Amino acid sequence: MRAGLLITLFMISLTSLCDTINQLFLKSAIDSLNFGGKFNFVRIFKFIFQLLIRPRVWLSFVFSVISLCIWLLVLSRADLNFAFSADSMHYIFIALASRFILKEKFSSLRWLGTGLLVVGIVFVSLN
Amino acid sequence: MLKKKVTLKILLLLVASDILETAIHFFFKKGALAQGELLVVDLSSAIVFLKAVFSSPFLWAGLLTVVVVFIIWSTILSKIDLSVAVPIASFSYILVPVVSVICLHEQISVLRWIGILLILAGVILVSLSSGERTEQKK
Repeated sequence: MRAGLLITLFMISLTSLCDTINQLFLKSAIDSLNFGGKFNFVRIFKFIFQLLIRPRVWLSFVFSVISLCIWLLVLSRADLNFAFSADSMHYIFIALASRFILKEKFSSLRWLGTGLLVVGIVFVSLN
Repeated sequence: MLKKKVTLKILLLLVASDILETAIHFFFKKGALAQGELLVVDLSSAIVFLKAVFSSPFLWAGLLTVVVVFIIWSTILSKIDLSVAVPIASFSYILVPVVSVICLHEQISVLRWIGILLILAGVILVSLSSGERTEQKK
């Protein structure tokens, strides 16, 4: 049971990591478009078309597919509520990536929140 | 350069993405459950499992929802920072366990609910720290 839990947590961290890489590529592609102003359907479709011709979006897509396959394997062996809660560890990866790769700034309160997430994940995994 | 202002329209998009995100995980779980008798122990059984899951209509319903969420999420990320968007999009951390109990009849212990609440508290703190940064800049 304990070994099974560790394997499940390891698989969840792999899917979280792939998801973070996917989000980073997506965010970087969107930023490179400099898309601002008002929403409307024509502009949204134009925006999506411009995104789809970026190689970075396809890299993002590849990581999504890997993440999905691992996720489905996780779901075959764990309860959805546990898997989904534990998957919040992608916040920790995203926090680190936002800070160190995208160079977004954030306060100590943000780190405290991220710390609470870690404790929460431990609690969720305890039973 | 940083985009932080969360307008009502963006908030509504985030709420829609929360609900659809919950639907995605419900569909995926349903798809994975349909292959309940299959035991995954190695790479070849994993491939057999994935082949079976990819022929389930639930999985495709989930993937269709993923496309919708992708469109919504792309729009959101073009307007606000990842570090602001992600925390607000996190109320699915409550929605998914609630749906798990009601629709999938899963059991959630008190300890796990505490963990879920801690995760949500962490997410709210993260959101607050983004708001704090906005005020400092003014």
